[in-house]
Amino acid sequence: MTLLVAPTAGSAAIPDWLGVAASIVLVGIAAAIALRQRLGITRELLWAAVRAFVQLLAVGAALTILFNRAGLLGSLLWIGGMVTIAGLVAAGRARTLPHARRTAWIAIGVGTATTLGILLVLGVIAPEPVVVVPVGGMVVSGAMTAASMTMRGIAAAAAEQRPAIEARLSLGQTSAQAFEAYFRSGVRMALVPAIDSTKVVGLIALPGAMTGLILAGVPPLEAIRYQIVVMYMLLAAAALSSIVAARVTERSLFDDADRLHRLEPVA
Amino acid sequence: MPLTEAFAFESVVLERDGRRILDGVSDHIHAAATTAVVGSSGSGKSTFLRLLNRLEDPTSGRLRFDGRPLDDYDVHELRRRVGLVAQRPVMLATTVLAELQVAVPELDEQRAGVLLGRVALTEHSLDRDTASMSGGEQQRLSLARALTVNPDVLLLDEPTSALDERAAMAVDRVIRDLVDDGLTVVLVSHDLDRVADVAHHVLVLERGRLVERGTPRDVRYLD
Repeated sequence: MTLLVAPTAGSAAIPDWLGVAASIVLVGIAAAIALRQRLGITRELLWAAVRAFVQLLAVGAALTILFNRAGLLGSLLWIGGMVTIAGLVAAGRARTLPHARRTAWIAIGVGTATTLGILLVLGVIAPEPVVVVPVGGMVVSGAMTAASMTMRGIAAAAAEQRPAIEARLSLGQTSAQAFEAYFRSGVRMALVPAIDSTKVVGLIALPGAMTGLILAGVPPLEAIRYQIVVMYMLLAAAALSSIVAARVTERSLFDDADRLHRLEPVA
Repeated sequence: MPLTEAFAFESVVLERDGRRILDGVSDHIHAAATTAVVGSSGSGKSTFLRLLNRLEDPTSGRLRFDGRPLDDYDVHELRRRVGLVAQRPVMLATTVLAELQVAVPELDEQRAGVLLGRVALTEHSLDRDTASMSGGEQQRLSLARALTVNPDVLLLDEPTSALDERAAMAVDRVIRDLVDDGLTVVLVSHDLDRVADVAHHVLVLERGRLVERGTPRDVRYLD
């Protein structure tokens, strides 16, 4: 019995459902290690595997409907949904900030819309659901990570550096002047992972977009073109969402008299 | 331009998290003199100080600076005229010169030297690493930093609490010299002996209320 479907023309072999079932062995290995070592996370690990299966099944079904029926507008609405969820996740990491959700939604929304918009307007990617949704997903994910890191870094600075910030305010500096160093540090910190990924892409592991395309039978020298676009778009999305997150957050930290709001320390 | 009147406050109340930090404080602060605000821990002294440069705003009541309501001023201009030096000195730059240039980037070395002279730090080079300075030296450097914007008033929160006696006496001398030059100083202190030596006027706060006021000789709290 073969667990793999015979390759179709122009595409690599895709596991069938029997193949997926066989891969549960890998979850079993992870669970056995957790159980044997008494890590206390076996149940959580198994539940995560079940959740992943169900969620991906649901997403796969939804995307099938989306690609067949919804068109570009439906794809953009789907991306809007992803931005909404991403904003909640990013805001959750910086709960101490005032208006954290609003900040996260604005930052991720601007980063995603601008990056995706440029790619569509320049004709780099086709305006088709089957392209826009996966590319949009990657952009949202990159924007979310950058916004989250920026907001968390700025929240920490505002809580821990209060004496220094107030010393600057007491010299007559504006809130922007008093906070400038922490603003820059927050943005820089959020961009470093995107820059590092770009530096080492392909050297440590084949990145996801390229891997998917190669598995689908696309020649490597064509697959890398997509990957290059992906790396550049992730840089732009990270930079845009980070700077917007930093600016919006900075404004929400100070009141009308340029006083720093009291924040709880970041956990 | 010298102040005609420093501060006047009327029925000032400040509430925070359901608690009254200041409860109906009314009085005034004399110009070109040292006013000490004393009282037990939690009496509202530091909060009172922070009202004077609008790092806090009262919940109700009126505050005036140089004859005008405090919130009539542009807040940044107010904070340049009313400088605040916090209890624990915070260094904002790595060298003495850079520290003095935080608020005034165009400050030259000559003016920096004059300011260091005013706070008795002339023996230190402008290139000196601020992290290597003692607590007393950092406190005086913070004073010099506050003076770079030519304030009319200096608010000092426990200026000598973390200092040894010698450093504290140096800060006392600096404060007397600044007032002799026409500055108004408002300081918060737990050190009642020091207050008796340095202050011209004393305000005593207890649980947010002004319970006593007068010269150091008149105020029983200092006995």
